[in-house]
Amino acid sequence: MIDGALIEKINTILAEEFEVDSSIIKPEAPLMETLDLDSLDLVDMVVLIEHNFGFTVKAKDFVGIKSFGDFYQFINSRINGA
Amino acid sequence: MEPNDSNKNWSGKSRGGTLGYLSFVFLIKKLGVGAAYSLLAFVVIYYIPFAPKATSAIWKYSREILKNGRLKSLMFLYMNFFRLGQSIIDRVAVSAGKNNEYVFEFSEPADVSRVLNSSEGVVIIGAHFGNWEIGSPFFDKYSKEMMVVMMDYEYQNIKKILESQKKIDTFRVIPITENSFSYLFEIRDALSKGKYIAIQGDRLSKSEKHIDMEFMGSKAAFPLGPFVLATRLNAPVVFYFAVRTGYKRYRFEFTMAGDYSGEPHKMKEVALMKDYVATLERIVERYPEQWYNYYNFWNT
Repeated sequence: MIDGALIEKINTILAEEFEVDSSIIKPEAPLMETLDLDSLDLVDMVVLIEHNFGFTVKAKDFVGIKSFGDFYQFINSRINGA
Repeated sequence: MEPNDSNKNWSGKSRGGTLGYLSFVFLIKKLGVGAAYSLLAFVVIYYIPFAPKATSAIWKYSREILKNGRLKSLMFLYMNFFRLGQSIIDRVAVSAGKNNEYVFEFSEPADVSRVLNSSEGVVIIGAHFGNWEIGSPFFDKYSKEMMVVMMDYEYQNIKKILESQKKIDTFRVIPITENSFSYLFEIRDALSKGKYIAIQGDRLSKSEKHIDMEFMGSKAAFPLGPFVLATRLNAPVVFYFAVRTGYKRYRFEFTMAGDYSGEPHKMKEVALMKDYVATLERIVERYPEQWYNYYNFWNT
């Protein structure tokens, strides 16, 4: 179970950084397409995660992250060491 | 902004087969650089009609950007191809151990020396101009490893040649492959370990984000990638160009990029790019025939 406050924090950060309306961010929505991310934006994403959540991101971490739900799971598992 | 005209960006392929390259390597080793230059003088004549895309690009560069007349442009075209060939021959000669025959001068301001000698990672941005690879062995003096970021296709071509010669180059490569982001992490990790990351700031590949900048009097598209990487990863940036100044003579020119960390987010890379373009323009104006981007670089 992921804390609602964490989801709220992630959504706020993503909406602000990638200039999208936070209402389009839904757990089942595809992450890359919804935020219109390309490889350069991924640099921003990595910096954003490391700056806001305090852990180092590796290339393999992004394997399997398709939706915002996957992304919440990833952040949650790294923060809580699950 | 994303380019969709194949003539407006680099296809990812470099001309010249492995066999031709190895013939020159043989000549350089057995008879010397002068003999290779002599053969080159004839080979260049073949390339003018049989490399139409490159010929067209340099013709336009001479006529529309440098404002040369037709006759001067014809001579310029020949010289441009000849200079490119010379730079490849010189590079092979140096890597084959003939570097004592060459004179290398360094134009390295104190702030650049300080950064290059520090323990932190540095992004070195160059261009497809002059002969940047010839300087790579000299980065050994800083005792830090250089990693060169390049397109995977280009890397595979170079690797094939090096393997056929049973040689290992003086730098490691981080290949950029489509549909994979692993190179971003390799770059970040290399910088965190205090290595140099060398990347070219002038060549646009297909589908790459870019910004049109005023360069040599006309608008030209520059890739955003190198500048986004450098600013986001907070690494100091040095612009580096190696120019051929005479027979067996090169000068390595280093310029410290400005600090744009105080600029608004997403404007940092634009400020860095402007700095780079101004530096590149100054040096291309001095050595216009050493410009080696063989596609329609300008939006003319």
